[in-house]
Amino acid sequence: MNKESATLKTGAGAIMVRSLVQIVRRPLLWIAMIGLPLFMFLFVTSMFEKGLPTRIPAAIVDRDGTSLSRQITQTLGGMQMVDLKETPQSYTEARHAMQEGRIYGFFLIPENFEADLLSGRSPEISFYTNMVYFVPGSLLFKTFKATAVYTKAGVAVSVAQSAGQDPETAAPLLQPINIAARPIGNPQLNYGIYLANSFIPAVLQLMIMLVTVFSLGQEIKRHTSTRLLRMARGSIFRAVYSKLLPQTVIWWVMAIFMVSWLYKYNHFTMQGSWGWMILSELLFVMAAQSFALFVFGLLPNLRLSLSVCALTGILSFSIAAFSFPEESMYPAMNIFSWLMPVRYNFLIYADQALNGRDIFYSRIWYVAYIAYIILPVTVMWRIKRFMAKPIYAP
Amino acid sequence: MKRIREFFGGIFRVYCREFRLVLRDPGIILFLTFLPLAYPVIYSLIYNPELVKDVPMVVVDNDRSPLSRRLVREIDACDQARVIGYAADLPEARRAMDSHKCFAILEIPGGFGRKIGRSESASAAMYCDMSLLLRYRGFLVAATEVMQSMGGELLTEKIDLVAPLAETVVTEDLLPIENISMGNIRNGFDSFIMPGVLILILHQCIVLALGMAGGARREKASAIGYNPHNNARYIPATMIGQMLCYSTLLALPALYMIHYVPLMFRFPMEGNLLEEMAFLMPMLAACFGIGFVLQAFTTERESVFVSWVVTSLIFLLLSGLIWPRYDMYGVWKAMSDICPATWAVEGFVKMNSNGAALWQVRHEYLMLWLNAAGWLTAGYCAQRWCVLPAIYGKSRKSVDKEVLPTRS
Repeated sequence: MNKESATLKTGAGAIMVRSLVQIVRRPLLWIAMIGLPLFMFLFVTSMFEKGLPTRIPAAIVDRDGTSLSRQITQTLGGMQMVDLKETPQSYTEARHAMQEGRIYGFFLIPENFEADLLSGRSPEISFYTNMVYFVPGSLLFKTFKATAVYTKAGVAVSVAQSAGQDPETAAPLLQPINIAARPIGNPQLNYGIYLANSFIPAVLQLMIMLVTVFSLGQEIKRHTSTRLLRMARGSIFRAVYSKLLPQTVIWWVMAIFMVSWLYKYNHFTMQGSWGWMILSELLFVMAAQSFALFVFGLLPNLRLSLSVCALTGILSFSIAAFSFPEESMYPAMNIFSWLMPVRYNFLIYADQALNGRDIFYSRIWYVAYIAYIILPVTVMWRIKRFMAKPIYAP
Repeated sequence: MKRIREFFGGIFRVYCREFRLVLRDPGIILFLTFLPLAYPVIYSLIYNPELVKDVPMVVVDNDRSPLSRRLVREIDACDQARVIGYAADLPEARRAMDSHKCFAILEIPGGFGRKIGRSESASAAMYCDMSLLLRYRGFLVAATEVMQSMGGELLTEKIDLVAPLAETVVTEDLLPIENISMGNIRNGFDSFIMPGVLILILHQCIVLALGMAGGARREKASAIGYNPHNNARYIPATMIGQMLCYSTLLALPALYMIHYVPLMFRFPMEGNLLEEMAFLMPMLAACFGIGFVLQAFTTERESVFVSWVVTSLIFLLLSGLIWPRYDMYGVWKAMSDICPATWAVEGFVKMNSNGAALWQVRHEYLMLWLNAAGWLTAGYCAQRWCVLPAIYGKSRKSVDKEVLPTRS
């Protein structure tokens, strides 16, 4: 023991070297810090690279079989979004095709459609979309609706014409009001821009939290935390922060790569300043580490704190409101949305990169990062207590 | 005959001992109880409002005519949007959007009402924040609905002016259009995502629990406070014994997840419960196979968190729930083919939400069985050539030696 303490190098530098060696010696950490995040960067962006799915398999049930119904089939078949894969003869057949997943929706033209229409008996055209698959379902809905409205417009023109209206003046009457949607920052409605910008930082947050807690917990599990404290000459701040700093640097490199991957290589919308975005990512890394450190301070049991980090990290994908808006959640759930660091990352991305807003409007989100970074100070005494007397509970 | 008896005896002994091991390991207990019981509830609660309603919007009305006010009123009356106020000009509206008070601006140009009066087509612009597609979708639906309903009314008025007789024909809707959402009739977000997520949770429960048990086997008994080894003479007997043990423990949580959670949160429940159970059997087997493979890479109990938790997201994206499988790149599609989660989610969603019968998901069912066979074989190889040598060293004999003391 005495011999060891005589040769023990102390100070922040020695702890950093030790922490770096620990990372180098553990392939699990290479995978967690570099391999998995890089794979996820590539995976998520490549998955949504096409922007939106096109040529969605669909069907038309033509129970009428007249020139008008064939015309509708042609119009629908000409739509970019639709691939008329099947021609079922009945509703039941089409429904079965949908249940088996061969098609995502179908358009139904009833029997005697043309005859009823010409004699003014108001036949009904209907379309069915499988909303179990949200994206293809919604896109099909849009296309089907457009086709139905065109058909109706054609009918209305001929009625107006038969009532003595000039077809040229009748045309604007069909759509007297037009509301043009202007999607700011993502005019192609690219799914990649929408999901990758939130999911990729959330993956990074998850991995940062897990690795932070894992590496600290290992010290207690392997009873090396006393040695760490001696190296830090008894200062828990020196021990923990020197240990985490090499990890922070690696995460910073990953975060800067992430920014360039998203906005440079993939050309996702970047209307704001690079400086603020990079600052946001750097602070985000520290905020995620600090959040994990805080969890570890509350629950210095390796498994429990890892469980909490895994739970919150995975829940972040939903609770941080990347897809379902936070203001629509129940108020009781809404609160938790604001507890995760990645929420602020997302808000800064929306403000800065997507919308190019003045930094003034995002100031609070940056302050939130700072609050996370300060947070673990309150539990340092607990971490010290558990590090001084390490007990491993499985 | 003796061998057969020994084989089944081995299964029984492993089965009984695995129970004791699991009950001693709070980590595995957590994966088998908290994860399947609480997680689906937390998850469902997040999305449970289902629909995005009353998203705030600001209006810049440069026309100030009765028609422009009617347009705003009608949009405000839509479920999806809520007009929180008028802005004098576009910069003021932009300030409101920048300060996160609203997520869309409706700009009505001057001369809007006059154009309609002149029987021309009048347009307005709606600038939408694109950070969340659900908000944009809501605004778009509201705008389309108002365009059509107001347009229809104006059309009737106009046609009445130019040709009074036509009114009788036009006031009655000539060609009613009906749209029906199948499976998820409310178009709700919770009903869309949760049936798939439930399957993924079940999947991850098994893999994480097996991974942690595998990690425990590599640790020193003194470190974790108990002897984690549990082996029969034959590796398949060991695997079957452990699989049966976890299946027994997960039977009720699984039933709870695929039946009671959808019941509590009113998700679509069109499937036959027995058929769904039968459908998920091969998925469970395949998950055990993945778990046995994961054990080869897990050298301590806690490393499953670091190495495996993030795969939930990979499985979700590969499952075809978010991005349809037919449109995936070949490499991702191939990857999703060998994930049991893909087929389980696809098939379960079709049965549970679209009311497909087991015969209608035969392709998914077949793929699940193939996955189960493949992953269990891989699991056997991982156990035979990675896990056991890592525990007992190279010699096969020592395995049998170690086995004896664990028989109690």
